[in-house]
Parts: sequence; structure tokens; C-alpha cells
Amino acid sequence: MNLMLQIWAGYARLTRRWPGFAAIIPFIPVLALWTAVSEAGLFPRAFFPGPADVLRAFVTLTYKGILPDYLQDSLIRLATGAAVGMALGIPLGILIGTSRWAHRICWPVLLFFQAIGDIAWLPILLIWFGFGLTTMTFVIVYTVLFPVVLNTVLGVESVPRDLSRAALSLGASRARVLWEVTLPGALPNIITGLRNGLGYGWRALIAVEMIVGTSGIGFMMFDARRAGSTVEIILGMIILGLLWYIVDAWILAPLERATGQRWGLVTS
Amino acid sequence: MKTLSLRNLGKTYFDPYAGAHVTAVHDVSLDVEPGEFISVVGPSGCGKTTILNMIAGFIPYSKGDILLDGKPVHGPGPERGVVFQSFALFPWKTVLDNVGFGPKMRGVPKAERDRIAREYLALAGLSHAAHRYPNELSGGMQQRVGVVRALANNPDVLLMDEPFASVDAQTRMTLQEELTRIWQERKPTVIFITHDVPEAVFLANRVVVLSKGRVLDQIAVDLPRPRVWDELVKDDQFKQLSARVLQMVRAA
Repeated sequence: MNLMLQIWAGYARLTRRWPGFAAIIPFIPVLALWTAVSEAGLFPRAFFPGPADVLRAFVTLTYKGILPDYLQDSLIRLATGAAVGMALGIPLGILIGTSRWAHRICWPVLLFFQAIGDIAWLPILLIWFGFGLTTMTFVIVYTVLFPVVLNTVLGVESVPRDLSRAALSLGASRARVLWEVTLPGALPNIITGLRNGLGYGWRALIAVEMIVGTSGIGFMMFDARRAGSTVEIILGMIILGLLWYIVDAWILAPLERATGQRWGLVTS
Repeated sequence: MKTLSLRNLGKTYFDPYAGAHVTAVHDVSLDVEPGEFISVVGPSGCGKTTILNMIAGFIPYSKGDILLDGKPVHGPGPERGVVFQSFALFPWKTVLDNVGFGPKMRGVPKAERDRIAREYLALAGLSHAAHRYPNELSGGMQQRVGVVRALANNPDVLLMDEPFASVDAQTRMTLQEELTRIWQERKPTVIFITHDVPEAVFLANRVVVLSKGRVLDQIAVDLPRPRVWDELVKDDQFKQLSARVLQMVRAA
């Protein structure tokens, strides 16, 4: 009992000093199970590779320069799509959130198109734009757009009415109210929308790369299937998870907390 | 400083739940002299907040006129400062930037508006909190910021909508005393909405009693200043005035 407590205390100290540890430790049993199954030889190696094989493939592909190139392609596509999605989504969300007319007109249309998932657009996009960057960008922008718009609307509507009234009676014009009150008030929700949008966009990107890609992580995985290289497929899967963890836990979540908590808008 | 006049002011709106037109304010006429402190009391639903919202320009009025120095007012404007029951401080701005917001909207340069904001913060004893954010302050301190933010913009009329209703009783008394002190120093024109009769009498030169959207009566309060609760609770004139107003409000 005492020993357990000591181990727990040590763990608590460790994770406080290096918070990253807390995220790694839950994966130890997963990794152990994976190693055990692959080492037990239940399946052929080429069919079910172990962690060491995947690590080797990682080193080889990195050394050849294939992996960094593909990763860069995927990330640039995601970043472009996210940037365009935000550039369209935030103004649209503010318009819908502030104007009752815009809300009436746009909301039903928005819900209609939200139901047509990103991949459902692919058949028609392939006919219109073919296998290429335009198709991929369209899908990413489409995926990022909805969470950003819906959360921006939510954010705009959640700004207390008295705040805009206060700004107006302190001499602000409607435009200044938008800039000084509506936008900062909606910002925590906008970041939540961006966080969701990037998450969906990342998944959509991989799916699209599998179908129309000539490069990127999704393409690498699907191409590996043709060659029967399970190692590369699993490597791709691990990269997807890791990369998202880094982006979400280290960049987006702290950003979301920083705006919300500092301002007392989020109570946690 | 300008005179504020309400002339046969009325407000009727459509209530979608009742499915009928409701008249919140029937016919209110009132003149407020520059530098006067007026309290408006009345039971719930007497239209006092509706009147304040119309003066502030937050809602349009259905009939009559609101005149500031003879000119009709429509929509919100910086010459009518507002202190809200909800404080309505900008959570993403520091206390200093909240108080400097009005001057900023007028185009006052950063250094000058910081100076103005610091001057007004000192007036409310808040100099130490200049760089804090509103959610780091107590309710009482937040409303002090709310009051000086409105004052720092030098409005012709200061409109206060039950500003101390959401702070605890002890803090409320302190805030009331501070408000009378600040009013004596700066002499702003104040319209103070409340349902708390002793508060109305304590603060004002004149108490306006509203009932069902009409002015029931107006009572002059010529208690000496500075007014302090420790003395006024024992003061016979204060007690009589409060009792008289309370009787009217309860009968209203």
C-alpha cells in the first residue's frame, strides 16, 4: 500500500515537471501489447509488423526524403484549406450572427450542405476538377468551413447584449462595436470552431489524398497497400495520430483556454 | 451641461407570448436640470427600466419626445452615459482600457486617455487595479469601474439602471456613499433607477415615483450632504421621507 502511494507520488511529481509524460504513459500498455502480439508470431511478419519494423521504416523513409516531402505536402494542403475556410467562415458567421435576415436566409442552406459530407462531394468534384489540387482544396475548405461558421455564429450570439449597448453609449459606431465587442467576444468560440474544423479537415485530407492524391500521407498509405507494405500503412496511421495530438494539445487547446479563461468567459 | 426633458413619453410594444400589444409606459413627462440627481422608484413592471432604455436610445419610443437641450434624441450616444446592473465591462480589456474606452472612441490618443482613465480610477479608489481584468475583481469593484467608465466620457446625463442590485448589502451601502461623494465632486446629471426606496432617498435630490407607466408623484429630498448611512439611519427627516415614498410605492 505504502509502495503504491510512493509510486503514485513519484508519478505526480514527474508529470507536473514534464506534463508530456502524462500523455505518453497511457501508450505504454498499447505498445507492449502490440510488441507481444507481433513477437508471438501469431501472424506473419509481413502481415502484422512490430514496432521495431515500423520504426525502421520511419528512419528509411525519412532518410530517403519521402516522408518529410509527403508530410509537408499534407500540412500545406491543410493549412491552405484552413486559412481559406477561416477567411470565408468567420465573416459569414459574424454576418449570420448579427443579422436576423442573414440568419433566416443562410441557416437552412447551411444545414442542408452540412449534411452532404465532404467525401460525398468527391464524385461530382472529380468530374468537374479531375484528380488534382483543386478537388483536394475544395474538400478541405468545405470541411473546415462548417464548424468555423457554426461556432462563430454561436460565439456572436453569446456576447451579452449589454456589452454592445455599453460600447454604443460610450460613443462607438456599429463598425467599432463589431471590432471592439463582437469579434473579441466571439473569439473563444471561433477558436473552438477552428479546432474542430482542423480535426475534421485533417481526416478529410487523408481520405481525399487516398483517392485523388499523388503525394501526401494519405497517398503514401494507399500506395503502400498496392505494394502490400503493412509497415508503411501503420507508420502513416501513427503519424496521423501523433501529428494531430501535437497540433491539438500543444497549440489549439492552450489557445482556446488562454482566451476563454483569461476573460472569465469559460468557467473551469 | 444640458437639460433633459421627457414630453408625454410612451412605449407600446407587441408581446408575442401574450399575442397582444402591451403598454409599458403610458404618459411620462419629466424635466431634469443640469447637475440634478434624480431617483426613479416604482414596483416591478412600472416601466422604469423601459424609460431608461428609451433615454439611452436602446429601444425606440412609441410616442412623445425625449429632448436633450431641446433636440430630440434617437439611438444611443456618448452624451448619455449608462451604468448597467450587469456591469457590462469588457472582459478582454483591462480596467484601464475599460475606463479609457469612451475617450478612445472619441479619438483621444493613448497617452491622454490613459491619463484620463487613471484620474477617474483614482476618484473611485481603484488606482491599484488598473492593469487587472474585470473577472479578477469583486462585484463591488467591477461596478465602481462601471461608474467611472461612464463618467470618464463626460456625459451630459448619467443613466443608472439598478446598478447596485447585484452586490451584497454592505458593499451596496459603501457604493451608495461613494456615489454621493463622486456626485458632489463632479456634479453630473444622474437618473438613477431602483426599486430600493431607502437607496432612492439616500442618493437623490428628487425622487420620482412611477406607477403603471405614469408619474405618480415627485418628492424633493433636501437632506444635507455629504450623506453617510451611519448618520442618516438615525435621521428623522430621512425616516419620514423614506416612509412616505415607501407608502406610495406599496400603494402604487
